[in-house]
Amino acid sequence: MVRCARGVLLAVMASSSAGAARAAPESFVIDPANTHVHWEVRHFGTSTSRGRFDAISGSVVLDRSARSGAASFSISTASISTGFAPFDGVLRGPYLLGTQEYPTAYFVANRFAFDGDRLASVTGDFTLRGVASTLTLRALRFACRTDAEPAREVCGGDFETEFNRSAFGITHSLPFVADKVRVLLQIEAVRQ
Amino acid sequence: MTKTLLASLLALGAVTAHAESATYAVDPSHTFVTFEANHMGTSTLRGRFDKKEGSVVLDKAGKSGKAEIVIDTTSISTGVPALDTHLKSKDFFNAAEFGTAKFTADKFNFSGDKVTDLNGTLTLLGKTQPVTLKATNFNCYLNPMLKREVCGGDFETTIARTQYGMAYGLNYGLPDNIRLLIQVEAVKQ
Repeated sequence: MVRCARGVLLAVMASSSAGAARAAPESFVIDPANTHVHWEVRHFGTSTSRGRFDAISGSVVLDRSARSGAASFSISTASISTGFAPFDGVLRGPYLLGTQEYPTAYFVANRFAFDGDRLASVTGDFTLRGVASTLTLRALRFACRTDAEPAREVCGGDFETEFNRSAFGITHSLPFVADKVRVLLQIEAVRQ
Repeated sequence: MTKTLLASLLALGAVTAHAESATYAVDPSHTFVTFEANHMGTSTLRGRFDKKEGSVVLDKAGKSGKAEIVIDTTSISTGVPALDTHLKSKDFFNAAEFGTAKFTADKFNFSGDKVTDLNGTLTLLGKTQPVTLKATNFNCYLNPMLKREVCGGDFETTIARTQYGMAYGLNYGLPDNIRLLIQVEAVKQ
């Protein structure tokens, strides 16, 4: 399934290149210092437990004139961090993320929706624990800026989405820990 | 035996004097302060503090309470070690000199049996300023594993860091206003 997702990405990128004559696709690589995946889940209907994944890599092809793009992100599931080490161990275990068997989660997207010039949402396939499902990331803000030092263009913003963890086979602690997981993504990517 | 009896009588006295007041110890696995700061007008940087301790006294019938949470500023964690080091330096938290930050709340406001907001203070870099924490969730439940009542919720506030003397990077586009998201759960003692 993972191989399949990568194949799709290559096909998307190839078609992107094919269209280069009429448009202007630009390549970006994510800046790991300013790219994070944070998640929130309700605990006993009372408070919000939060965590993040620290090891993320990815690249984006953006064609601002054609208002299209493609993105590919890999997330190391073992890099989960809640701030409470015993939790991290439980979350990595076979009943939750199963990080030994499923070390990587993927998001591969080729449907970029724009509102005027502003990127509004990105839709693609999210693969977690070997299960792929369509996911849309809504852009809460999106901007490009030019940094002086180092001289470079950076595009990025904040995105959010939510999914039911049971759809990916993660049912441990239901219903005390909610099924719905809210995901907040900080993404900044540097133009190559 | 006498000591035990005396302790029991004293405990009874304490209970009688504050019939509905109970003490709750903060559960460190479900209590975190997360901060959000806009980064260069583009995206939102998040970080948290991993070490903290505290206690809450809650009187649900009398609709009052007190809370104190002490945060270890050296335990700041953004997921980027170089950034953590910079945040702990004199430019930001000066963790070597000010190893802790402290929230206190001495006024709990209620709507029905739910806490709606807390009035108190935040001490950071040795400076104390008033803060109001707004509750976005509040609930008490019987935890089946602990077999004890747990009360808690989600709180948020926005502080201006310059009020505490933390002004680094304002001229580079780092914001003054920092949003704090606070998860708290505390176990009845």
